[in-house]
Amino acid sequence: MLSKALCSDIIAKAMSTGADFAEVYQELTRGNVIRLIGGKIDAIDDTVISGVGVRAFLGTRTVYATTTDLSREGLLRCASAVADTIAQSNAQVSINLTERIFPNIHGIKRLPGDAPVNERIGILKEACFAAKEYDERIAQVQGNLISIDHSILVANSEELYTTDRHVRTRLAVSAIASNGSENQSGFYGPGRAMGLEMFETVNPAQTGIRAARQAIVNLGAVPCPAGVMPVAIDNGFGGVIFHEACGHSLEATSVAIGASQMCGKMGQKIANEKVTAIDDGTIPNAWGSINIDDEGHSSQKNVLIENGVLKSYMVDRLGSRRMGVPSTGSGRRQGYMYEPTSRMTNTYIANGPDKNEDIIASIEYGLYAASMGGGSVNPVNGAFNFAVNEGYIIRNGKICEPVRGASLIGTGSQIIQDIDMVGQNLELGQGMCGSSSGSVPTNVGQPLIRVSKITVGGAGK
Amino acid sequence: MTFEQIKSVVAEAAKLYGVTQYEVYYSESEGMSTETLKDEISSFTSENASSVDFRCIINGRAGYASTQLLEEDEIADLVKKAAANAAVCESDDELEFFAGSESYGEVDMPEPVIPSAAALREAALALQKKTYSLSDKIADGTQSAVGAAISGSHMYNSHGLELSQRYGVNYGYVSVVVKEGEESVSAFKGANGSTFEELESACDKAVNKALSQIGAEPAPTGEYPIIIASETMRSLLSTFAPVFSAKNAEKGLSLLKGKEGEVIAADCVSIVDDPFRPGSVQSAFDGEGVATYTKNVVENGVLNTLLYNLSSAKKAGKTTTGNGNHSNGIRYHNFYIKPGSYTREELLKTADGGIFITEFKGLHAGANATTGDFSVESAGYMIENGALGKPVKSFTIAGNFFKLLKDIAALGNTVDFGLSTSPTVFASPDIYLPKMPVAGK
Repeated sequence: MLSKALCSDIIAKAMSTGADFAEVYQELTRGNVIRLIGGKIDAIDDTVISGVGVRAFLGTRTVYATTTDLSREGLLRCASAVADTIAQSNAQVSINLTERIFPNIHGIKRLPGDAPVNERIGILKEACFAAKEYDERIAQVQGNLISIDHSILVANSEELYTTDRHVRTRLAVSAIASNGSENQSGFYGPGRAMGLEMFETVNPAQTGIRAARQAIVNLGAVPCPAGVMPVAIDNGFGGVIFHEACGHSLEATSVAIGASQMCGKMGQKIANEKVTAIDDGTIPNAWGSINIDDEGHSSQKNVLIENGVLKSYMVDRLGSRRMGVPSTGSGRRQGYMYEPTSRMTNTYIANGPDKNEDIIASIEYGLYAASMGGGSVNPVNGAFNFAVNEGYIIRNGKICEPVRGASLIGTGSQIIQDIDMVGQNLELGQGMCGSSSGSVPTNVGQPLIRVSKITVGGAGK
Repeated sequence: MTFEQIKSVVAEAAKLYGVTQYEVYYSESEGMSTETLKDEISSFTSENASSVDFRCIINGRAGYASTQLLEEDEIADLVKKAAANAAVCESDDELEFFAGSESYGEVDMPEPVIPSAAALREAALALQKKTYSLSDKIADGTQSAVGAAISGSHMYNSHGLELSQRYGVNYGYVSVVVKEGEESVSAFKGANGSTFEELESACDKAVNKALSQIGAEPAPTGEYPIIIASETMRSLLSTFAPVFSAKNAEKGLSLLKGKEGEVIAADCVSIVDDPFRPGSVQSAFDGEGVATYTKNVVENGVLNTLLYNLSSAKKAGKTTTGNGNHSNGIRYHNFYIKPGSYTREELLKTADGGIFITEFKGLHAGANATTGDFSVESAGYMIENGALGKPVKSFTIAGNFFKLLKDIAALGNTVDFGLSTSPTVFASPDIYLPKMPVAGK
């Protein structure tokens, strides 16, 4: 990584025309993906992403320049591009960086690069073969084993110089079931901020079976009927509902510029009192965890909503300047190509007071969303949509026939008031979240919850 | 490092590791963009990046490695890693590198230029000013942006084939927020160009779209005649484009497998893949170095051909259609549904009582290319008395892409190619569907 002396020179150069803050961010990411399709290893790819981003602030104006040229000349040219754009005044800046070492709370036992490739291939095959053998109607299985070793350096004009290393492993299996004329799919993709020791707790064969089982359920499912109805959404990736419907609107990215449904709501009751929601980047070795954010702040546990009352936004450095509140350690980015902004880490609805069986029993006619797919939201007005990957009709308090092709739509501010039962089986589910600072690993999560009414889209009658 | 230096480091390392068949793909890009908030520049970014993708073939199997760290040791290491990756690959694709086409088409694109930082800032501020001037309902959060980028690539393979291309993209967009009472509505419009004059129309379009959506409510649940607007159908076509990949068909991931020569769409539907469309980014060769050409993928409803690269063509006993990328996948050029003969006014009259769709949200989650199923959040307008009526939002349209292709009853006579920033562009005219299920209030 870049030396303290070189970082000092880059920062001084970036501030030489009057910027009031400057930062150097370096990324070195070594990635390896093993892809399997049709029972055979299809391709293995090693990638190295390497580059530097230089950022400067003048008030709330930001300038950002990136380069893959790591020579002293290349880096100073990058800093000059920043200074030329700030062009406020001439300034003599001297920077004295001090190295700061943050505690590593996400220790890695077995780096993926240290494990023989045949061991990693074996894990992937175990998962995919279990999926294929689950049922003769499983027509195709694709799997990826992804290993990421991501090192970062953050140095800034507040004299910080620090580094961090994020190691992540993810096994993703997608299975296709076919009856000859129709295809249905199932997916499961557990991930951790761990090396190969992830598979001490995550069973590869069970991962494959879970994807295959979902595809087979969907093959026997009828198109989901459309309409407004109560919906029970199960734990794990079901938490995508809070992530999309509410989480994005609590990011300073939109709150600080007035473009969020949640602006001006601090301290107000915005959700049902059963809802407590937390963003916590400090859960040891969880998929969305970090030691420090991409601006050099310690990651924190932030209670966003407590018993229905809005307690905190998620704030990055620029958001902090715009809003006049401290950073919450939420400044994240995919890598050097992106300016950081406020992002989620592991975001979940905490366990509530209701028993899971009571939640299902309370619904006369509605939808049970056993497994959710992805979704999206417009933070301006909170309009969201997401896909149900595995769903069932609930009739008279009982889970009945499977339905496919369902989607849930609504607005965030409404749905968090309509979450009127919260169960007790909190679990996290892994996803990649996309926003203006790229794609970052995030956990979503919740126990089983009931939403009293939501618009369900589907092609059934 | 220059491309020549990279080639020579690779050649040395290939000798050392006994690799005889390989390909080096070097890309470089530079760009600038600027963004406004309220009445000032809020951010300015500039970038310059280069990377090397290396691929080798050993016994018909490929190994891959790439890096942005352009140092001699790293580049030599690429060869070592790719060779190790090829050694454990089990694919029966029987890959080989391409020695070159007899001739390549001519691309006709303007010489790429990145305007000065000052010119970009001026254009972005002018867009922002104009946007605010169009309505007193424009609210904070409204942003205008202008940017420009140049991309270049050089490929070289062990047959001695060497090809280069370079293109530029200038673009701008307006992302507007309007507020009336408690209601906020946003809209986005992008265009190609980097001067205020080239981009100005995006201001009116974004503001009009946002203003006209104020007061929108969910459409009542039911079955309706539907028109999907050109700019919206583009995103649906892009989501389902993987079904036209011969590689996906071969792997059992596309329901169009074995359907070449069969009717897969209504008579009025023709889909073309055109690498030389004027006004778009053009490509004379694909990622495998094969000469590209224009082809009708679907002609009057009949699936003429899927899109092939070298290995999927070899497996199917066909010839590549010049649609390979440099990782044994499929690349689309300008892939679009050809326009029909109806004006938008005529379509609206035909679809009276229906819904005109101008927005799909969350297609990445609500649509599945393997099954063809989609259920997607939509917004648009009711069609009243043969014209656009009251705005509607927060309802879903559900269906299946393969059925939709057969249900298209009429096509509009213009195609909105929208903002294009890469050699792959999807587009479509307005499409008319006589009956689709809608879930709303």
